[in-house]
Amino acid sequence: MLIYHLLLPFVFNKLILNYPNLMLTDTQTSLLQSYKRDINSYDEVIGTDGLVKPHWQKLFDSLQKLGLKELDFRNQEIINRLRENGVTYNVYESTDGLNHPWQLDPIPFLIEEKEWQQISTGLKQRVQVLDLIFRDIYGPQRLVRDGILPPELIFDNTGFLRPCFDVKLPSENQLLLYGADLARGPDGRMWLMDNRTQAPSGSGYALENRRIMSKLLPELTDGMFVERLFPFFNTFHQRVVSIAPHTKENPNVVYLTPGSNNETYFEHAYLASYLGYTLAQGDDLVVRNGYVWLKSLEGLEKIDVIIRRVDDEWSDPLELREDSRLGVPGLLHSIRSGKVAVINPPGVSVLENSALLAFMQSCSKYFLQQDLLMPSIATWWCGQKKELTFVLENLPRLIVKKANRKQKMRSVYGRTLSKEELEKLRQEISKAPHEYVAQEEVSLSTTPSLVNGKIEPRLASLRAFMVSNGNDYYMMQGGLTRSSAEKDRYVISNQYGGISKDTWIVSDTVPVASGRMLSTVRNTSPSHNTLPSRSAENLFWAGRYGERAMSLTKFLRIVISAINENVDFRGSFKLEYIDILLKSTTHLTLTYPGFTDEKNEQIRENPYIELGNLVKNTQKLGTVASNVQSFLNSVLAVSDRWNQDTRRVLTLLENSLKKTNSLDIHNHNTVQKLLDKLHGRFFTFFGTLSETMPRDHAYHLFEAGKLVERILAKISVLRSCFSFKNDENTENELMEAVLTNHYLLVHYRHLYKSSFNLETMLDMVLLDEKLPYSLAHQLDTLSRCLAQLPKVAPNQRLNLAEKAVLDASTQLRLSDLNKLTTCSSSKAYRKELEQLLSRISSLVSSVTISLTDTYFAHTVIQSVLVEKSENDTTHEV
Amino acid sequence: MRYKLTHRTKYNYQGSVNTYHSVVCLQPRQLESQICRNFALQILPTPAEVVSRIDFFGNTVHYFSIDVSHKELVVVAESDVESFAKPPLDESKSMTYQNAKNHIWQTRSVKVELLQYLLTSPFISWDEAITQFAQRFFLPDLPLYSCVKALCQAIFNEFKFDSNFTTVHTPLQTVLKERRGVCQDFSHLAIASLRSMGIPARYVSGYLETLPPPGKKKLQGSDASHAWVSAFIPPFGWCEFDPTNDIIPQERHIVTAYGRDYSDIAPLKGIIFSSGKHTLSVAVDVIPKGG
Repeated sequence: MLIYHLLLPFVFNKLILNYPNLMLTDTQTSLLQSYKRDINSYDEVIGTDGLVKPHWQKLFDSLQKLGLKELDFRNQEIINRLRENGVTYNVYESTDGLNHPWQLDPIPFLIEEKEWQQISTGLKQRVQVLDLIFRDIYGPQRLVRDGILPPELIFDNTGFLRPCFDVKLPSENQLLLYGADLARGPDGRMWLMDNRTQAPSGSGYALENRRIMSKLLPELTDGMFVERLFPFFNTFHQRVVSIAPHTKENPNVVYLTPGSNNETYFEHAYLASYLGYTLAQGDDLVVRNGYVWLKSLEGLEKIDVIIRRVDDEWSDPLELREDSRLGVPGLLHSIRSGKVAVINPPGVSVLENSALLAFMQSCSKYFLQQDLLMPSIATWWCGQKKELTFVLENLPRLIVKKANRKQKMRSVYGRTLSKEELEKLRQEISKAPHEYVAQEEVSLSTTPSLVNGKIEPRLASLRAFMVSNGNDYYMMQGGLTRSSAEKDRYVISNQYGGISKDTWIVSDTVPVASGRMLSTVRNTSPSHNTLPSRSAENLFWAGRYGERAMSLTKFLRIVISAINENVDFRGSFKLEYIDILLKSTTHLTLTYPGFTDEKNEQIRENPYIELGNLVKNTQKLGTVASNVQSFLNSVLAVSDRWNQDTRRVLTLLENSLKKTNSLDIHNHNTVQKLLDKLHGRFFTFFGTLSETMPRDHAYHLFEAGKLVERILAKISVLRSCFSFKNDENTENELMEAVLTNHYLLVHYRHLYKSSFNLETMLDMVLLDEKLPYSLAHQLDTLSRCLAQLPKVAPNQRLNLAEKAVLDASTQLRLSDLNKLTTCSSSKAYRKELEQLLSRISSLVSSVTISLTDTYFAHTVIQSVLVEKSENDTTHEV
Repeated sequence: MRYKLTHRTKYNYQGSVNTYHSVVCLQPRQLESQICRNFALQILPTPAEVVSRIDFFGNTVHYFSIDVSHKELVVVAESDVESFAKPPLDESKSMTYQNAKNHIWQTRSVKVELLQYLLTSPFISWDEAITQFAQRFFLPDLPLYSCVKALCQAIFNEFKFDSNFTTVHTPLQTVLKERRGVCQDFSHLAIASLRSMGIPARYVSGYLETLPPPGKKKLQGSDASHAWVSAFIPPFGWCEFDPTNDIIPQERHIVTAYGRDYSDIAPLKGIIFSSGKHTLSVAVDVIPKGG
């Protein structure tokens, strides 16, 4: 308590004034005291002198002021916000059925600025050495010739890719992005544990963590200055511009992702959108004349720089893994020709070999004539005799892994093995010693974390990020800290659970403002908003699936209400109009035979089962659940397009989908409720888009998809209900249902009171342009949307899709209501109506095909051709 | 000998192909025993670009791409090569197997140069069965050269040439078990055997001039691309062997490329974007010039 008083008398006074109940802290224990009691290993909060570090003292003061209760409340807010923002590290359809949201601890990880400077200097030296090693391995290979590196580290390294030996970036440094995993050792220094060189992940999560913390817990920085993160991204962007082959102020940059199934896909979309780059997948890109082009809605667009999140081996199927569908055939050729720059260049995976850590010191001596400044975890590569002997003798206290990261083997902790297991491991290592690396068991510091409403010490490690800056490197002033979910156990990886923390580089003086601070990442000239063909297709289908799900929920509500209204009367299901509505449901969802099976008495006896299935069944196409799922998949694939508000609605829709999984289909009340909620949420989604989305190609494609689906859905119901004439009562009921389906019942009653007339109804539903859900209005809107899309050929007036819609619209307008409602001579068949609707339906269907042919044609399959050498020399010699 | 080599590859696609990327490895190497006097690559439809480069192993490869719609692709590589007889080797001067192995593994500069030909590679790995198969030829005190010759002779005698049995992806274990395959399989088997014994071995891709059956005229297109092996035998250096025909490659063997195995130097490799199937036909002619 003494330190507390001395350091922050002002805060203390304020505490007394504002929170008289906190007076109790004098007699009760403070958060810090109680935390200190829980510490049972070396901890971040305590300095080497045994005292609480001043910056942690300040943080605890702020926490004390906030109170545990409030902290816990804010923590809940953080959880909600992360969910709403869709921050995840895997996808909707994960195999374990779990959707892992990103976890952020409200208590940040603090590092004092002066210490961070030291770490930064140490890491700079490391990354410089790594860059030199990289250039040497894919160059003169002096390291192996001069005996600094054993040749196995190159030639027995699956990361060494021979086709990459002449793939170079137009800059001195080749390793432009670097991630380092750090942890504090028992000596109080930060130790390097591992290098990430291919496509270090985490910088986007670090940025999002910071954004959330500064919004939800701004008061924690009281009395401290926290370094900002954005200069890192500025530096990165400047590097991207400087490396662009065709000197341009505003290069075309794509962020190459393996796709939405990747566990860090959120980050790819997030960073692409933050940096203003186009998010693309391998088959969005094509190599022509040595250049890389993006297949976009407006044709091919030349790409200058690719930020790569696809691993080395997968980046070019022509010269690397031929079964890769994630890369771009010819990419290596394009880099070699200097026509595109790829960050980091393919081949860097050679550095992601644990054995390399054992040789960093000698490499540093060799290249820089310097000792390493930052220590790294002791590593022995078993390919050397002395080291092998040491490892075999000390196995119980070591961790054993494969040198090649690609060879999947979980790290084995010697201490956890039985005698027999140790012996077995010894034998395995002895069989192929060069494949193994042993490391000292990692020792980590603990750091305060909020666990079940209490602040407890948890083991933590930190990932730092560096970007090349001229011939130097710039380190992110922050990083991604992860702390273990369990006490005293080091389990820190996204796969096995773990909690992230915002990482603060703190000082008690205002940081020196650098020139960079003023510029923002985005350029002042408007960045070119390219829409890749794949995104275009996903947007169109997001519109279609979304509307399909919404139309269906709407109609199911009508059907279920109709049944419920008649539920008191025994046998009332036999009512003709309900039967027709049920059949319409099957037609609408294309889930035959369903209700159209006349012989299936059971399905009519209790229609709730089939209706419930039409809501719940994710495995069956056409159901609400499967449409919502498809909708979310399409939406996720273009997640760089959605703003925060839209993301929030998407999270709600995702929750609804989860609820359908546990839906009790026999309880039609809950079914009805769920449908109501879903319908409302879809309305919110569409509303949010129409209020906020820029009217660009993305919007018009989404709208086109939505309208095509809406027209088809409404026509389907109209045809099912009125193609055949029924008795007057039935027709009246059907008209009421259809008007409800078009959101027009109230309007109709307002104009015509309660008398239903087919001609008036059809006039409203089909022809009245003032009504948003009328067919005429929908067709007009659709044609306006299509007109906004780019023309493929110059001088082209109307494309096929536009012509189809114009045709449909004209036929509709030329139709004669009187004829439409008339039945053909003998049967009760409204031939004119049926034919008109069917023609419009197929014209509108053709829009999808035309758009696919014009804009989305990238779905051709990639295959590999090889020629086998074969010598039929039976008549030889 | 001077040869005119023609390697004609034709692809027919069911559906039309709009984009095609390819790397071909067809240009004969310049060697002490061989001079490539001329090389020309004709491709139809005309490619948007053809770019040659020297690959990691020193082979000349050509990248080309086609971005016009086509249903048929023809690649013709023509070369004019002069080859020379290799000076005869005195087998007895070869290091013994044991000494050679020690020399290779214990001299750092040698090991650095050769390591990649001693380790597994995409098409080459070995198990107990292969090691056992190899062991009987490698006696510690025998000249290494004789060991390798014996190995290749055994493959020639004990294995059946069968061009319908294997594909590019048939594992070596199957080849060994069924005792049949083509030149590529036999070469891979010999390489795996050598490496399992700790001796560096590489894959050679090229051509062999074939002779028509006695009394008959040579048919056009009857030759084929061929493959054999090269083993490192101190003090000679790299020495070539043809296990498919049990001969020591001489003038009639023309080298196009060296690699760790087939995957490094496939004659023609390409990526197409198409939904249909394709058929392939290859015709090779090795015609001696001026008789």
